Parts: sequence; structure tokens; C-alpha cells
Amino acid sequence: MNATRRSLRWLAPAAAVVVALLLWQLATAGGLFTRDQFPTMTDTVRALGDAIGTEAYWDSVLSTLQAWFLGLVIASVLAVVIGSALAFNDFAYRSAASVIEIFKAIPAIAILPLVILVLGSTLEMKVFLIAFGVFWPLVIQVIYGVRSMDPTVLDTAKALGVGGLRRFFVVTIPSASPYLATGMRIASASALILAVVSELVGGAAGIGRNILRAQNGGVSAYPVMYAYILTAGLLGIILTGAFFLFERKVMHWHESQRNIRANEQGARK
Amino acid sequence: MTQTLPTVDAEAAAALIAPTTPPGRRRRSGGGTAKRVLVAVWLPIVLLALWWVLSASSTSPFFPPLSKILGEWWDQWIVGDAKGQLVSSLRNLVFGYLAGSLIGATFGTLLWRFAAARRVTNPIIYFLYVLPAPALLPAMIALFGIGEMRQIALISFGAIWPTLLNTLDGMRGIDQVKFDAAKAMRLSPTRTLFSLVLPAAAPQMAAGLRASLQVSIILMVVTEMVAAREGIGYFILQAQTVFAVTKMWTGILTLVIIGMVANFLFVAIERRALAWYHRSRAPGNS
Repeated sequence: MNATRRSLRWLAPAAAVVVALLLWQLATAGGLFTRDQFPTMTDTVRALGDAIGTEAYWDSVLSTLQAWFLGLVIASVLAVVIGSALAFNDFAYRSAASVIEIFKAIPAIAILPLVILVLGSTLEMKVFLIAFGVFWPLVIQVIYGVRSMDPTVLDTAKALGVGGLRRFFVVTIPSASPYLATGMRIASASALILAVVSELVGGAAGIGRNILRAQNGGVSAYPVMYAYILTAGLLGIILTGAFFLFERKVMHWHESQRNIRANEQGARK
Repeated sequence: MTQTLPTVDAEAAAALIAPTTPPGRRRRSGGGTAKRVLVAVWLPIVLLALWWVLSASSTSPFFPPLSKILGEWWDQWIVGDAKGQLVSSLRNLVFGYLAGSLIGATFGTLLWRFAAARRVTNPIIYFLYVLPAPALLPAMIALFGIGEMRQIALISFGAIWPTLLNTLDGMRGIDQVKFDAAKAMRLSPTRTLFSLVLPAAAPQMAAGLRASLQVSIILMVVTEMVAAREGIGYFILQAQTVFAVTKMWTGILTLVIIGMVANFLFVAIERRALAWYHRSRAPGNS
């Protein structure tokens, strides 16, 4: 019985995807949208199939991923180091809080034209924009995470003589990890958005630039455009999904995860 | 104000939405208000002063003196006609954001209520959520042309998903015991929705609405930077292409102000809305 239920849980969403694709095909082939508005599903899938075989496709995916990865890594390392340093000193935290809030309120894309001007349409430009945009929300998460740490835990670690770097890695980081994991998951999504924007507006190589080029190519290239849009979405699913799974695996003890799981089990009954 | 709810129900509902998380570490309340304000503002002021001093004799083409930027900002945005760009930007932002977050909250609630629909549409919704919305911009141009309709459409499209998913998550995170209690008290479905579900999910819904606002601002600028003829994004990019760097800086400054004001307004409204929520938890205060 359990097996049928589990297969149902997979089958229903899969069927929904198939139905959505069929509806797409019906709406476009049936004339609800004309070809210069929206390409048919079969044309798009064919364009995607053709693109997957080319080197240009994988080059664009890789350059988007590369910028996403570098920007995210740089921002997270900086956020963890600076965030924990600020969290341990009350004066430093209160002084920096307003500056961080101000920078967090700046839409990262505002500085895009400036960054393009200084760095050109390069990988560095993308990485800088991503790291800048993602750093501020992340550092706030780190500060909250470290400050939410149970003081007893810290005192215990001190009493046991665990200090310095060891205490940082064994006590501080695990304590802040639920906040950090959430922050990273959100940052991953923002980083992908900023990567696409920097390609779309800034003209750096990647998925975003290929989408715009296909749009400029006219109606005949629209299936290619949607093939790249689909690619961007699939990339988002893979990256966000990876963070979700990681969070569930590592954070199963955390309250937010417990309630969701309890409700799921309740619903499954 | 007249209280229309029977008090027993109101109190019971208030008890249902008691906090599930323990209150955070109490902060030491050292010093008076003046001292706290001083600690909060000294660093931004020092940084601004540093920027002013260090850029005063700047000859770099990219980083003009701050005094020049501020002077030009006054000429462009207060005296000049750059204000017109502001109107179209803000109009698109407001319409797009309101439409998107309303759709998001409504469908989030519906999907929470109908578990079967949720399970079926789950992959599609996640696909649309993680799809970087700016990637759809060229598609929107194909669908709606290059008018403001496409801008509003894209902004609201992007604003839907953070609100929808946070509404859903917030409602799913509600302790099952509270529903059992509501059932035991024979609250009607509508009453349960408004007295239990919405208030209990409110903090996370607010987080979603805030994320939607940030996405909306980004999309507002992106839509103005590609194939548009007005708006702040257009202004900044136009200044950049003709290498009018100081003018570009004034646009960036304006966007920074918009970002800060939008954020400030949101927090102010959220505090008000959730103040009701916090007050309702306090005993003997209804």
C-alpha cells in the first residue's frame, strides 16, 4: 500500500507536467497565440534538442554557472567571516547594522551600469555584481544565526577549553547553520537572477545573452529563445533543489523542518 | 471601534496563534535613546564623509567627486525633468507589485487548502519560482510589445512566487494541534481562515511580501534597461552609453533612495500590521 502511495506522489506531478506541456501545444497550435507571440511546445522542445548538441549551448550554461558559483562563494566566505566578527561585538554590530541595512536596500542592479563601465562585459563584472547583491542579505543571516546561539553552549565550550578557530568551526558555525542554510538557498536564487541580468543587460556571455540574441533574431528564432528560457528554469530547479535537499538532510532537527514534516505525515494518513 | 467578534472566540483564536519559537536572547538595554541613535548613525556618517573627502579631488572618470554628484542630482531630479522618469517607474512598480502579491497570497491560500491541487501543481510552481524572471523579459516583449503593459506584467509575474510560496509554507507550518482546537470550538471555515490561519501565517507572509517587493524593484529596473524609452533604468543606462558618468551616478542615487524608501515603508507597515498580532498575544490586553 505504501508503494502505491509513493508512486502516486510521483505520478500526479509528472502527469501535471505532461498536461501543462499538452495545454501549451494546444494553445499555440490551436491558434490562441500566433506564432510570432508564442512558439509551439514541439518547436521549442526540438530547438532545445538541437541546442543541447551544440558547444555554444553548453558554453553559455557553463559561463552562467561559473559566475553564479564564484559570486556565491566569495559572498558567503566574506559574509561568514565578517558576520561572525560583528556578531560577537555588540558595539560593532550596532554600528554596522545601519550600514548593512542601507546597502541591502540598494537594488544590486542599480550599480550594474557602473560595474559594466569599470569592468566591461566580462566574467569579473558578473561575479562582482552577484557577490555585491548577495553579500548583504547573507551577512545579516550570519549575524542573526550567531547571535541566536544559546549562551550556555558558548560558555560550555569555553569551560571545556575549546577556543579560537576550533570553537568557530565546532560551535559557532553549527549553531548558526539553520540561518546560514536558509540564507544560502535564497542567495543562490538571487545569484542566478543577477547572473541572467548581467548577461541580458551587460552583454556578458551566458544564457541571458543568448535569450536576448534569439529574441533579436526574429520570429523564426523564438523557439530557440524559449529553449534557453527553459534552460534557465531547469538550472534554477537543479540549484534550488540541491539546496533544499541539503537543508532537509542536515537541518532535520530544526523546528521549521519538524512542523512541515509533522503536517505532511498528518496529511498522508 | 466596535468589537464584532464574540470575546470568547477572539481570545481562543488569540491563544491558538501563540508563538511556536522561543523569544530570542534579551538585549542589554545599555544607555539611553540618544546613545543608541548615536551608535546607529555614526558609521554611515563617517563613511559618507570619507566618500566626500576622498572623492573631492578625484580625476577618475568613473568616480566623480560626491559634491558634483549631489549638485547634478539636484539639477536633474529636483529642478530638471528627470522627475518624469520617476512617475512611470513608480507607477509600474506599484501596479505590478500589488497585482503580483495579491495573486500570490490568494493562490497560496488556495493551494494550502486543496492539498491535491498543491501536489499536482507543485513542480510547475517551483519551476516558475526558480525560473529567473528577467529571462522572461524578451518573451514578454514578444507577447506584449514594448509598452508598459509588458513591464507591469513581468513585475507582477516575478512578485507572485515569493508571496505564494511563503503564504503556503507559513500556513503549512501551523501546528496541527491548533486546527484540532479550532475544530473542537466549532469555528466555521471562514472564521478559522481569518482568526487562525491568516494571523498565524502573517509573519512568514510578510517575509514573502518583502521578498516580492525586492524582486519587483529589480524587475522594474531590468524592464527599463531593455527596449524601453522611459524610467529610471532607462535614464541610468542612457547616461552610461553616452558616458555621462555624473548623470549616471545621479540615477543610481535615485534608485538607492527608492530602494531605501520602499524598504522603510514596508517595515513601517509591517510593524503596524504585526503589532496587532503581537498585541493579540499579550494577555489581558484586548
